[in-house]
Formats: sequence, C-alpha cells, structure tokens
Amino acid sequence: MEKVIDVRGISKVYEKRKTKEKIHAVRDVSFHVNRGEVLGLLGPNGAGKTSTIKMLCGLLETDAGSIYINGLDIGKKRLKALEHISAVLEGNRNLYWRLTVRENLEYFAGNRGYSRKEVSDQAYKLIEQFGLKEKENELVNGLSRGMQQKLAIAVALLANTDVILLDEPTLGLDVEVSYELRNILKTIVKEEKRTIIISSHDMPVVQELCDRTIIINKGEVVIDDRVENLLKLFETRAYSIKLGEKLSAAQENKLLSRFPLSTYKASSHETIVEVNLEHGQDIYELFDLLKEEGTMVESIDRITIDFEQVFIRIVKGGKANEMAPLILC
Amino acid sequence: MKWLRLFSANFRKEYIELKRYLPNTIALVFTFYIIFLAAFFGIMFIGDPASFDMNVQYSIVSVVFWSLTMMTMNFIGFSVITEATRGTLEQIYMSPMGVWKIMLTRIIAQFGLQFVVMVLLLFGAMLTSGQWLSLNPMTTIPIMILTMASMVGISFMIAGLAIIVKQIQAFLQIFQFVLMGLVFVPLTAVPFLAFAPFVKGVNMVRTVMMDDLTLGQLPLADYGVLVLNSVVYLILGIVVFHYCEKIAMKKGLLGQY
Repeated sequence: MEKVIDVRGISKVYEKRKTKEKIHAVRDVSFHVNRGEVLGLLGPNGAGKTSTIKMLCGLLETDAGSIYINGLDIGKKRLKALEHISAVLEGNRNLYWRLTVRENLEYFAGNRGYSRKEVSDQAYKLIEQFGLKEKENELVNGLSRGMQQKLAIAVALLANTDVILLDEPTLGLDVEVSYELRNILKTIVKEEKRTIIISSHDMPVVQELCDRTIIINKGEVVIDDRVENLLKLFETRAYSIKLGEKLSAAQENKLLSRFPLSTYKASSHETIVEVNLEHGQDIYELFDLLKEEGTMVESIDRITIDFEQVFIRIVKGGKANEMAPLILC
Repeated sequence: MKWLRLFSANFRKEYIELKRYLPNTIALVFTFYIIFLAAFFGIMFIGDPASFDMNVQYSIVSVVFWSLTMMTMNFIGFSVITEATRGTLEQIYMSPMGVWKIMLTRIIAQFGLQFVVMVLLLFGAMLTSGQWLSLNPMTTIPIMILTMASMVGISFMIAGLAIIVKQIQAFLQIFQFVLMGLVFVPLTAVPFLAFAPFVKGVNMVRTVMMDDLTLGQLPLADYGVLVLNSVVYLILGIVVFHYCEKIAMKKGLLGQY
C-alpha cells in the first residue's frame, strides 16, 4: 500500500509564557496513512490531537521528527506539500462570513491558484451534493451552523487534494444535521477515494467512516488498529436475560456464587440477570440453574460494546474482554 | 498565471467586501473630507494670506495621501486581526501559494480600490477649495508605484506583528497619527525624514502636483533616494513578515487570538 502520509517521531513542546513551564503536547508520535484510507484520530481533550493535525497541515512546526505528504517533507517543502492537503479545522471559523456560499468556494479555490471558470462545475456539483443550492447566493453569516460546516467541507473538497483533514466535523451540530453530514461524508468516502483523517469525539462518525483508528493520550499513541479489531479486543460473552418471574433465594445464591460477575435485578415490572461468561458452554449451566425451578425466560440479548466504550476503556487503561457496561446495542 | 488568479480572487474579495461595507467606507471618506475642511478653514482664517494657495494645495495633497497610506497600511494589520479572530487566518495559511503572496495581492488590491476613493476625495477637496492641482498621470503614477513599494514593506511589518501579537489595535490607532506626521511634515523642515518610508515619494508627488512638473524636471538624486527607500523597506518588510511567521508557527500562534 502506498503511504500518503508518513509521520515519523514528531514531538511538540509548548512553553507557558509566564511560568516557562514546558508542556509536552505530542511525544514521539509515528504513524502512516495509506492512499484511500480513512483514519480516525481520537483522544480526550488535551491529548495532542489538534497539535498533531496542525503539524500535519503545516500550521505548526514540529520540535522533532518529520512529516511526509506524498513523499514531501512538510518541514522543508511546506508549500509543495500543501498542494496535497486541505483541511476543515475545528469550529465554524473556516469561512468568510461576509461572502456568499459560492463566493467562499471561489475565493478559497482562487487562493490555491485556480480560476473561477476552472472550478465552476465542481463548485456547482458540491453545492448540490451538500444541499446548499437554495443558499448559494446567501451570506455565510446567515447560514445555520450545520450549513456552515457543510460549506467548510465543500471548500476543502474543492481544493481537489489527495488528503483531507477534518477536525471535529460534527462538533456542535444537532443530531439531525450530524446524521445528515455523516451520510454525506460516507458518500464522499465511498465515491471520492481520498485519504481522510478525521479527528472527532463523535464515536458513531468514527465507527461508521473510519477504516483505522489511532488513539492519542497524553501526547502519545496509545493504540493504532482497525476499528473492527478494537471492537473485537473488548468483545465479551456478556448476556442480558429477561426472566418471566423472580428467582428464588436459593437460585440467586447459586447464580452469584457460580457467576460472580453477574448481576441480578428484580423489580415489580421486570427481572433481569446479566452475566459475563468465561466460556461459551457456560450458558448451559445457567439454563440448568433456571430450569431447576422452571423459571421462564422471556428474552436473551447479547451485550455488545460500542466504539465509545472501547475508546473510554483504552483511554482509561482498561483491559480487553472485561464485561461491558449495561448498554444494549 | 497562478499569480494572476490569486490576484483576481483577492481583488474580487476586497471589492465585494468594500461594497458590502460601503457605509463604513463612505463614513471614512467623509471623515477625511471633514479633516480637510478643518485644515482649509484653518488656513483661510488664521493662515498667512500671502501663502494661502500654496498652503491649501499642500493640505489637499497631504490629506489625500494620509487617507491612502492609512487605509492601505492599517488595512493589513486589521485584516490579520480579523482573520485571526474568525479563524480564517489558518485557512489562508494552508494555501500552497504562500501567505505573503496572498497578503501582497490583498495590499495591491486594497491600494487600487483606495486609490479610486482617493481620487474622489481629491476632486472633492479641489472643488471645495477652488484650488486645482496638476494631475499628470504620466508623472505621478510612476512615483506613486515606487512609493507604494515602501508602503507594502511597512504593511508586511504590521501584518507580521499582528500575526504574533494580535491585539495591536491600540498601536494601529496611534500609528495613524505617526502616518499623519510623516505625510504632513515638509522634507525641507526635517530632511532626514527622506529615509523614512514613503515620505520621499509623497514629497515628490506633492511637488509634481503643486508645481506642475514632469518626471524629467525632478533631480536624479530624488529618484535615487526614492528607489533605495522603496527597495529597502519592501525587502525589510518581507523579511520581518517571514520572521514573525516562523515564530508564530513555532509557538502555535496562528490560531490564537
């Protein structure tokens, strides 16, 4: 696979102005992204994601290490490397508010050396694709947050670069717009085959769009793996069993002694047992226990872990195969 | 070709924004006109009647040039501050053309647009005072282009400073009075000011307009000082801008405000 982005041991240290205290924002981070790959860059606040993104787009100098974009060292050939990158940086601050939708598209393309005529068809296509046709000639300051974000992404796409960096593309958007934007991004990922890095706190976005994920914490890469592998890493044999009646005291004691990690919750309207089985065949033992007193089983659901939980566990240093919290997917 | 497209994009943006902020522009021109009127009536009532014509012509050119220098040079400082506040500064820093080129095209575009405004102000002032100056473009434009180079240099220095410091509005407010001093003070009174940015050029244009001279009638030494002045300040401005840029990228100041 061809490496489009190659990050080799980058570090960034900031110094506090008053106290001169040194803050290591990024420590010896290395990774690469292959052509056409969609990479999720995750991490808690202050983990070093934004510093990494800014170093990738040449807005911040590295203190150590190098970044290669299509083989071009961004530290040495910054402008040449920038021909291959476009970005939507965090927040709604990527556009000129006193220009219209179309004027913004044309202006940013012009700043990359394209004429209005050259980008006219592509701009029209993007305006249509992002559902901005009716707002084409409206000033950006009159658009909703979601529309501004769509336009910012359209501007990045119009640059026609190999690499697109999206820093928090769905931040601050309501559920509906976030869902709509996610679908547009999905189409782009599928159709455009561009190399994309998405930094986001929105786990469904990462889970749905990214092939691979890098999790950064305290400036260091904690994990670099495919999304499905990370989900497997924390996969459990946990089940939630809804019973038709309450367990007897004897049954309850047996259950908790045989399956110490299980929980038993009985209320007036439902009785639920949640168990984490060490081996698949342990489920027969559980059924035998229920069968002893003819307890009715109403439903059995497997408790699956979603990407958000995987992320939280990795960041908090959790172990694989621990029982997932009580979220049914 | 890419330069032309870059210039076209930035000229268009500046023009559109000038149109959308038209009341602002009109108010600014009106303010300069009022300042001219104050100077005009001052000369009329308390000035020496023997040198009335000369003094009025001197103030017309000075007020017009002050407006041009201020609107062009302060523009870039305010532009960087605004871009940093809105976040678009980082976006333009991602242009493979290079920010200094974007800034240069914006300064030239702004100079061009303000030049039109300046011509209107000039005619307004001449009409009000009844004093008509020589407007030979073959003489004034070459001198103005050279004068502009040093203005571009200072604009780059202001832009560089704004990238690092951001909150330089107070400095820019004071700077407009420094510009006023540089434009109004005659070189005969303070000759060393010829080495200050754009002063020599403004002085030459003023002489040409007031005395109806042609390019050939100006001393060669004046051109020497003007060219030297323009080249030195232009290069110095670009060097300072790049240095400030380097600091901003090292310290991560581009996105901060």
